[in-house]
Amino acid sequence: MNGPFTYEELAALMKICAGVTADPQRMSLPGSTFEEFGLDSLGLLGIVSELERRYQFPLGADVDQCKTPREFLETTNSQLTSGV
Amino acid sequence: MNTSVPRRTVVTGVGVVAPNGIGADVFWKATREGLCVLDRISREGCGDLPLTIAGEVREFDPAAVVEERFLVQTDRFTHFAMVAADQALADAALGPMPTFGVGVTTASCSGGGEFGQRELQNLWGQGPGFVGPYQSIAWFYAATTGQISIRGGFKGPCAVLANDEAGGLDALAHAARTIRRGTNAVVVGAAEAPLAPYSMVCQLGYDSLSLAREPGQAYLPFTSNACGFVPAEGGAMFVLEETEAAHRRGARIRAEVAGHGATFTGTSGWGPSRDGLARAIGDALADAGCAPQDIDVVFADALGVREADHAEVLALSDALGAHAAQVPVTAPKAGIGRAYCGAPVLDCAAAILAMEHGVVPPTPGVFDVCHDLDLVTGRARAAELRTALVLSRGLMGHNAALVLRRGDGRPGTPM
Repeated sequence: MNGPFTYEELAALMKICAGVTADPQRMSLPGSTFEEFGLDSLGLLGIVSELERRYQFPLGADVDQCKTPREFLETTNSQLTSGV
Repeated sequence: MNTSVPRRTVVTGVGVVAPNGIGADVFWKATREGLCVLDRISREGCGDLPLTIAGEVREFDPAAVVEERFLVQTDRFTHFAMVAADQALADAALGPMPTFGVGVTTASCSGGGEFGQRELQNLWGQGPGFVGPYQSIAWFYAATTGQISIRGGFKGPCAVLANDEAGGLDALAHAARTIRRGTNAVVVGAAEAPLAPYSMVCQLGYDSLSLAREPGQAYLPFTSNACGFVPAEGGAMFVLEETEAAHRRGARIRAEVAGHGATFTGTSGWGPSRDGLARAIGDALADAGCAPQDIDVVFADALGVREADHAEVLALSDALGAHAAQVPVTAPKAGIGRAYCGAPVLDCAAAILAMEHGVVPPTPGVFDVCHDLDLVTGRARAAELRTALVLSRGLMGHNAALVLRRGDGRPGTPM
C-alpha cells in the first residue's frame, strides 16, 4: 500500500534533495508556492526521482510541473493510489 | 558616461581561500613568512594514486559558511569561490548598486570534479534514476559564476573563462573591460578543487605534474631539482570597480588593474612560451603605460619544469631588458602549490598585499636558484612596491601577464 504522501515527507525531501528548509504547515496553506521556499525546477525534479525510487513507480510527466506543494501532493497521491 | 576618457578599474575588495590560510590577512601572514604547507593528500579516496603531494585547504568547513541550499547544489570549487567572494564583498563594502550594476566573472579549468564523480558513480553503479538533477549544472566550469550571481542577486554581465590557468588573469582583464563598458562593479576571480580521485586521475596525464613523494622536494621552481608542479586547491575573488566611482564613495582602493596581455603558443613543449609570455608582458606594459623599469616585483608563473622555468626567465629578459636581472621575482606558490586558475589570482592577492605592506614575500623552500634572476628566497624582502607584474601560463598553451598598481588606501587608513 502506497501513500498518502504528506507535507512532512515533502519537507524532508526538499531538505535532502535541494537543501531547502520549509515548514510543512506553511506549505499546506492555500496559495503557498514552491518558489517562496526557494525550490527551483531542478530541486523538484530531484524530489520526483527520489519518490519514484522509493515507490518503484513512475509518477508521470506532469508531476514535475507542479508549482505549489498542494498541487504536488494531490498529483502524487492520486498517482500512487490509482497505481496500487 | 564620459566616453572620451577610458574608465579605469580598481580593486576594492580581496577574498582568499588558500592552503596556507582563509582570509586575506591570514593568507598574507603565511605568505610573507614563506611557510610551505605542501603535504600528503589526505582527502578520502585519494590514497592509492601516484600523485601524493598537494596544497590542501584543510581548515575549510563548507557547512559553516555556505547555505544548505548551495551546499547541496554546488561543488567544492564553488564553495571556495563563494566564501572568497563573501570576503571580497565585505572588504569592498559596496553601497546600494543599480539592479544590473554588479556582474560576476570567474575562470575555471578543473570544474566540479568531486560532485561530478559522485553522480557518475551513481549512474554507473545504480542507474540514471539515481543521478541528482544538480549534476546538470554543478560540475560545469560556469557553475561558480552562475551560483555567485544567484546567491548575491548580481544581475550585471556575467562571464566564465575556461582557458587554462592563465584564465585567472584573463578573468580580471575581462572584468576590467566589463567595467570599461559601463558596469559598476564585478565580482571576479577563480577557485579550484582538483583534489578528488576523478580530478586527480585526469591530472596524471600532465607530464609537468610532480609525482615526488616528499613535500619539501616536490615543487622547486627555478632550481636544478625542479621536478614539476604540485597541484593545489583554493583561489581568490576580488571586487573591481570603476576608479572614479570608487573614490566618490570613499572606498579603500587596494590596487589598480593597470594592464593585461595574453597569447597562445600551443602545447608543443615549453620553449615557445618564451615568445608568448614576452609578448603578453609587452602588451600588458603598453596597456598600463609602463616602462620595464617601472615594474617593482614579478610574481612568476614558476612551473617547476626546467625548460618552462628557463623559457620564463628568457621571456622576462626579452620583455624587461636589463631590468629583468634587477627586479625581484617571487613564486609564493612554491609553498602552497598551483591551484590551476586559482594560482594566478592568489598571486594577484599576494601582489596587492605585498604592495600594501612594502614587502616581497619569499619563494618557500627554494634556495639554489639555477637561473639568472633575482628570485627572493629564504626571507621576505622589504621594498617600495608601486607596480607588480603577475605571470601565468596554462598547461594547454595560454600565456598571460597582468600589471597591478598599488592603491592609495594603505592598510588601516581607509580614505
